Amino acid sequence: MQAQNTLLNTEYSTDAQTEPIEHRFNPYQDNGGTILGIAGEDFAVLAGDTRQTVGYSIDSRYEPKVHDVGDNLLLSANGFSADGVQLVKVFQNQLKWYHFDNNKEMAVSSAARLIQHMLYRKRMFPYYVATILAGLDEEGKGAIYSFDPVGSYEREQCRAGGAAASLIMPFLDNQVNFKNQMDPESNGTKRRPLKYLSLEEVIQLVRDAFTSATERHIEVGDGLQILIVTKDGVRSEYFPLKKD
Amino acid sequence: MSQQDPSTINGGSAVAMVGKDCVAIASDLRLGQQSMGVSNDFEKIFHYGHVFLGLTGLGTDVLTVSENFRMKTNLYKMAEQREIEPESFANLVSTSLYEKRFGPWFVGPIVAGLNSISSKPFVCGFDYIGCIDYAKDFIVAGTASEQLFGMCESLYEPNLEPDDLFETISQALLNAVDRDALSGWGAVVYVITKDKVVKRYLKTRQD
Amino acid sequence: MNHNPVNWGRPSDDQYGPYNYQIANASNVASQATKNSQNEFPTMHTQQPMITGASVVAVKFNDGVVMATDKLGSYGSLLRLDDLERMIQVGDSTVVGVSGDISDFQYLQRLLDELLIEDNYDMEQSNLKASHVHEYLRGVFYNRRSKMNPLWNACVVAGFDADGEVFLKYVNLLGVSYSSPAIATGFGAYMGVPLLRQKVENEEDVKKLEKEDAIKLVRDCMKVLFYRDARSWDKYDLCVITKSTKKIEFQKGLECEGQSWKFARDISGYGLPQQ
Repeated sequence: MQAQNTLLNTEYSTDAQTEPIEHRFNPYQDNGGTILGIAGEDFAVLAGDTRQTVGYSIDSRYEPKVHDVGDNLLLSANGFSADGVQLVKVFQNQLKWYHFDNNKEMAVSSAARLIQHMLYRKRMFPYYVATILAGLDEEGKGAIYSFDPVGSYEREQCRAGGAAASLIMPFLDNQVNFKNQMDPESNGTKRRPLKYLSLEEVIQLVRDAFTSATERHIEVGDGLQILIVTKDGVRSEYFPLKKD
Repeated sequence: MSQQDPSTINGGSAVAMVGKDCVAIASDLRLGQQSMGVSNDFEKIFHYGHVFLGLTGLGTDVLTVSENFRMKTNLYKMAEQREIEPESFANLVSTSLYEKRFGPWFVGPIVAGLNSISSKPFVCGFDYIGCIDYAKDFIVAGTASEQLFGMCESLYEPNLEPDDLFETISQALLNAVDRDALSGWGAVVYVITKDKVVKRYLKTRQD
Repeated sequence: MNHNPVNWGRPSDDQYGPYNYQIANASNVASQATKNSQNEFPTMHTQQPMITGASVVAVKFNDGVVMATDKLGSYGSLLRLDDLERMIQVGDSTVVGVSGDISDFQYLQRLLDELLIEDNYDMEQSNLKASHVHEYLRGVFYNRRSKMNPLWNACVVAGFDADGEVFLKYVNLLGVSYSSPAIATGFGAYMGVPLLRQKVENEEDVKKLEKEDAIKLVRDCMKVLFYRDARSWDKYDLCVITKSTKKIEFQKGLECEGQSWKFARDISGYGLPQQ
């Protein structure tokens, strides 16, 4: 191999590197995709598109990333897909041991705390994922927990994660939490009162959010997988999205 | 979005929409220095006759470029003995930006207006070196552009009456800037119809 | 800004400070003499692939999977090996097609051999299915990438799962995996997959694709890859996995047939006709 400065004979070659160029292995990759969770009064939904990408290539048009992990819990980790798959696998394994040790179902709040610890123990080499957990709380109300890659988490009414999160999140603020909406009678003095949305309304919102995101984000599309959790268990729905 | 990216130092966003025989254009009012808010009356919408221009990006360039266009449209008016039309103005913006191809103005312009002869609504946007993006529906620009894309793509419908168009563009802008740390601090909306222009200021979250 | 082209796209020293070579307790530096000098590097397992194999191409059809790999092993631009077999059968229901580094491939071959032997010890008869092999490989790849010491390969695992259904799934050096009716690694992802997807866009289309058409499709892909991928070859192995007969059959040493290089006359630059 020739020395660096003879390869690049530029006007800068005198101050070119004397040390070799380091070609470092990159352990991460962006696999695109977007996920979205909304909590209702007695249900919660967790939805994700089924496209998996790397760069401009579509690896798969149907690789589901929202998982029914048991105990009426839905889990999805979006971002670097290998980390996402691993996180869900480790969680399911931990859940199995929880059953052996405690002989009871895991509450959604406990699952959330467990996921925080799973993410934080890799603080220095993180799982590169946006994580959303959905389930029903102790009162039977819908619960959505969202996590950053290193485990900081929060319970919310709704949350979008992944490639098109920034496109979907303001829409959710507006249509789920009625942000910036006023009572028309009040001449801008009273906010529109909050109310729980029905399952039909929620599914329509999710579908609108994903068709919009598909239109404007190249890493989103192909198919929409919606998992719905109620006291009767988990149900799944699929809707096609644009493939371009 | 590095610390020294000129297009995200001051922050700010703008959006334009087409309705039935009308157009609307709106922007936020914030001017910042990185995360610090500096001004809450920095309007980013300018007009030259009946043509409206939204300018997002580096604050100093917004002011300079808007003044440049004031000069150019005044010269145009003297030469042509009429006001410039939106379509022509779009080409003026494009060529003016491309003139500075290798030392650009760091702005994200959008144009909106009604053609004074045909009354046809017109909106378009540009990248900072003048590539025109003609749109039939809406155009977004600024640091909240992703959020605006998400809002507009889901709220917009064609052939809205002026009042409904006002509601739509306002909700799109308000909810978008609330999810962007660099935009907000008030908003201004223009609804342009054939015989009048209505300008309204909107209250927003002040964080 | 540093205008030296050598530094383009690198983290600037102004912004991040000079690189700290003490990071990760650099231990593999050659001699004591160079200790604490600027030439100290952190532990680098990281390699680059040496002898490499090109694309793996695979597609599902109504009664199984067809997969192909060419017989070339490249050392950079040198034709180093000319009789490589890059598909390995694991037990009676799995075939793994491997591209990328050949020495890592041979290591995988040994791991899979051991896996099969262990499986045979435990069970009366072989119980190792394609889905298990895929999960095992994903684990191996993911653990190695997490140690920053990857096995530099991309694999396609084909065969039957525990229910006897047709199985086809990809996994690579990062532990990234996915399934699809049409899968190809390397250049095949750009030039093979579009051809395959013309016939099988989804699982419904799979039901309509006959075995003979699938074989022809894969053979056409190998031909197109030979036309355009400089690191590929026109001699290849092909494997047909059939569900109804539960058979895995290899056709070794096939050649690209019906080649026509007429198209090459008109190509210059990036392929658009020039005036």
